[in-house]
Amino acid sequence: MILLSWQTALLVGAIAIPLLILLYFLKLRRREHRISSTLLWKRAVHDLQVNAPFQKLRRNLLLFLQLLVLGAIIFGLANPVMNFVKRQERNIVLLVDRSGSMKTIEPDGRTRMEHVKDAAAQFVSNLADGSRAMVISFADRANVACSFTDDKRRLERQIREVEPTDACSKIGEALQLAVAYSASLVDERGGGGVPEAAQRGAADIELFSDGRIADADEQYVTRGSMQYYKIGEAADNVGIVAFSARRHYERPGMLSVFAEVENFGPRPIRTDVSILLDGRLLPGPGSIKEIELGPAAAPTSGPARPDDTAALASRQTVIFEMQHESGGVVEVRLSRDDALALDNRVVAPIDPPRQVRVLAVSDRADVRWFLNREFVESLEIKDFKLMTGQEYESAPDKALIAEGRSAFDLVVLDNHDTARLPPGDYVFLGGLPRVKGYARGEEVEGRVLALWNESHPLLRSVGVDRVFISKWKRLTLPEHAVKLIEGEDSVVLALVTEPGHRYVISAFDVLDTNLPLQPAFPIFLQNAVMYLAGGGLLDEGRLIRPGDTMSLPVPPGAQNVRIDGPDGREENLEVQGRHSMTFAHTYLAGVYRAVFDDKGRTANAFAVNTLDPIESLITPNETFTIGAEQVASVTGQVKVNEPLWPWAAGAALLVLLVEWWIYNKRVML
Amino acid sequence: MADTTAATQKKPSSGGLLDPDFMNRLERLEIISRKIHSARNKGERVSKRKGESAEFADYRNYVSGDDLRHIDWNIYARLERLFLKLFLEEEELNVSILVDVSKSMDSGEPQKALYAKRVAAAIGYIGLCNYNRVNLYAYADKIVGFLRALRSRRMMSRVVQFLEEVPIEGKSHFAAAARQFAMRHTQKGVALVVSDFLDKGGFEEGLRYLLGRHLDIYALQVLSPEELQPELAGDLRLVDCEDDDVAEITVSRPLLDKYKANLQAFCESLRDYCNQRGIAYVMAPTSHPFEALILSYLRQRGLVR
Repeated sequence: MILLSWQTALLVGAIAIPLLILLYFLKLRRREHRISSTLLWKRAVHDLQVNAPFQKLRRNLLLFLQLLVLGAIIFGLANPVMNFVKRQERNIVLLVDRSGSMKTIEPDGRTRMEHVKDAAAQFVSNLADGSRAMVISFADRANVACSFTDDKRRLERQIREVEPTDACSKIGEALQLAVAYSASLVDERGGGGVPEAAQRGAADIELFSDGRIADADEQYVTRGSMQYYKIGEAADNVGIVAFSARRHYERPGMLSVFAEVENFGPRPIRTDVSILLDGRLLPGPGSIKEIELGPAAAPTSGPARPDDTAALASRQTVIFEMQHESGGVVEVRLSRDDALALDNRVVAPIDPPRQVRVLAVSDRADVRWFLNREFVESLEIKDFKLMTGQEYESAPDKALIAEGRSAFDLVVLDNHDTARLPPGDYVFLGGLPRVKGYARGEEVEGRVLALWNESHPLLRSVGVDRVFISKWKRLTLPEHAVKLIEGEDSVVLALVTEPGHRYVISAFDVLDTNLPLQPAFPIFLQNAVMYLAGGGLLDEGRLIRPGDTMSLPVPPGAQNVRIDGPDGREENLEVQGRHSMTFAHTYLAGVYRAVFDDKGRTANAFAVNTLDPIESLITPNETFTIGAEQVASVTGQVKVNEPLWPWAAGAALLVLLVEWWIYNKRVML
Repeated sequence: MADTTAATQKKPSSGGLLDPDFMNRLERLEIISRKIHSARNKGERVSKRKGESAEFADYRNYVSGDDLRHIDWNIYARLERLFLKLFLEEEELNVSILVDVSKSMDSGEPQKALYAKRVAAAIGYIGLCNYNRVNLYAYADKIVGFLRALRSRRMMSRVVQFLEEVPIEGKSHFAAAARQFAMRHTQKGVALVVSDFLDKGGFEEGLRYLLGRHLDIYALQVLSPEELQPELAGDLRLVDCEDDDVAEITVSRPLLDKYKANLQAFCESLRDYCNQRGIAYVMAPTSHPFEALILSYLRQRGLVR
């Protein structure tokens, strides 16, 4: 136990106690009472004084009790605390987790977020005088809820205002912010008279979380120390961790919905998985499936990693197949009340079936022949169009653009550089988009392919090792380009994602390779159709995670867009003169609808789903490791700096009541 | 006066002191004295002394010197022995009532003075009904008023008027008042002192004066519930209503206990003093019903029959 404000108590005590005693020395003002005779009273007083030499002292029981009351009040004023955690550093950064798992309902009926807020608020209220603290809330991104201040009420208020999101938890940005703000504090204080620790800019980081943080092992704490407060108890949760809905490649009317369900709880469970279209259960059998899942393995300590959870839980895949010829919102739902409702539902907007439209642009007859053979014969693309470069450049907008986007799901350009790029997906075979940041350099010849990423959907089953490329050009691409095939020092094949556009760019000319003669060519083209055009049937790009940025094409003529969130909130944005727009306020899971004010009232839907095994694993981490370093953790109920003043106040009240009772009852020992 | 006379034909007026029903019941009582007195006048009261009334009392053996007139000759004729025939003596009884009307009697709920006056009125009425000679004295530091030699119930209205009009004031000085009484009052008889005896000069001297007159003394101590069980709290400055004497007290359990012990000791000392000297002591808290005091308690103590 330690007295945090002993100076105040000392001051009050030094004034109040002598004052109380002085009051006792003052002559008592007595009430006058007339009686028949003082004969017996005088005798009684005299007898008492004669017989009890300590009577004066005895009479002072009330004084003693009053001193006791005063003592208790002064003790309370001294702000005594139990389990005091002494800090050298007086700058404290509170990291408050507000990721999806904070929506877990704990056994006491309150959300985990509320427990986190309580613990953080309690921590703040018991800060030693002179400490400064700041609050950073984080999910996938960090947000400074309150900058450094010693105003505890403000800190508490800001903590109370933190609301949970549906996003995953990533601590990296929060740690960077913490360090940056601590450093700024040094600049601010700079001068003399501040503790050495503050000079160094070290801040204590207090993490209030369940310890399930995706990027914990990639981080490290540079300055100050860190303490982890384990919040939460609930462990029972079943969640959908993977989801996809696609139309059948050959029969677009056929919809396949795939969901992976995982049990994160300690007990085996049995639950129903149902599929709904536009909020209605589909008629007929097969729309509800019962599954049984084994218990998750005992949670391992240390930071949660995505592959940890694979070992932890028992998963099961559920596939629904149905004939569905129209669009709408497909939803997979778990009919189970568990601690976290967030992951019991996934949604996806689907479009009515349509044929994949592919445009190939080539001036060379042999390439045209190969492309025609692969797309029409091998891939059975029914809506395939072939143009020369000149035809492409001179084609009217109407032929190339539909609804603000490319009229084709995929455009393959052979050896053709172009600036005519309506939003859409493009494969440049030896060509380049004529956009800033893309350039061609000198030729590379006689080199072997050094690296390729076969796990990428574009190169899956392609068999790059059997492909021979005699020469290619060095390319300058934007930094965020994903390199799919690399030579020793140059990129051979890359995927670049720009807002509204995706480009697959090859540095080589197909005629400088054996590719057209290999089975790899149709496989690569099929991958491109499947991946870029989403099979042409369902736009995978319209399924994002909470907090991700959604990019939407802007139809011509649209001035504004209204985005309806899943919670009914509307957001209006200006999109005038832009080809595409981005929307980043995607913290809630559900279906978002963007309605443009163009002539056709174009509507676009996209869905945000958590689909995060780390958030679904709600069992709190007992310990927390950041980088390679285990963080001091406080588990169980957070009992730090427990204030004792309520006890002191209670004791004072009790003694006061006893004193009052004695005074009234005239009971004197 | 005519008014009073008319009233006494039926029932003498008692003002607010006694109610008629109770007076009816009082008429059946009489005051008795435990001593043999030699009254100057014959009265209606049957004395313990054997005398010359018409009412036969007893026989006794003749001894020489006895009045020959009282020898029962019929017995002598039968038994040839001399017996003396004894008759009851009927004599007049002096009943003196001393009521304390000092300021200290002006306290309590019900008021002690009123209680004392009612006792005096009741005893006086009993005496008047039995043709006793009733003397009424009101005293504080001296005798402040008196009514002497009242006989017959017609005098009741005077008794009541006297009691109602006598002021409750002054310090109490029982010894001085008793001395004054003893000097004036030479006849023997019954003396009833109604007081709280809370006299700073003590009660012994006053009672001694009365004892010197060979009176059959009854001491009735009237105390209010406030005196017996004081309901006081806090820091008080107690002021004596008679002499403005001040006692500063802080009410506490030990103090209250001490007060009660002192009160009990005081009452016991009064009782012991009385018992040792043949004085009948009666404690009368004003909370005790007045009728019960007269009809049963004083009867038990032998003052009335």
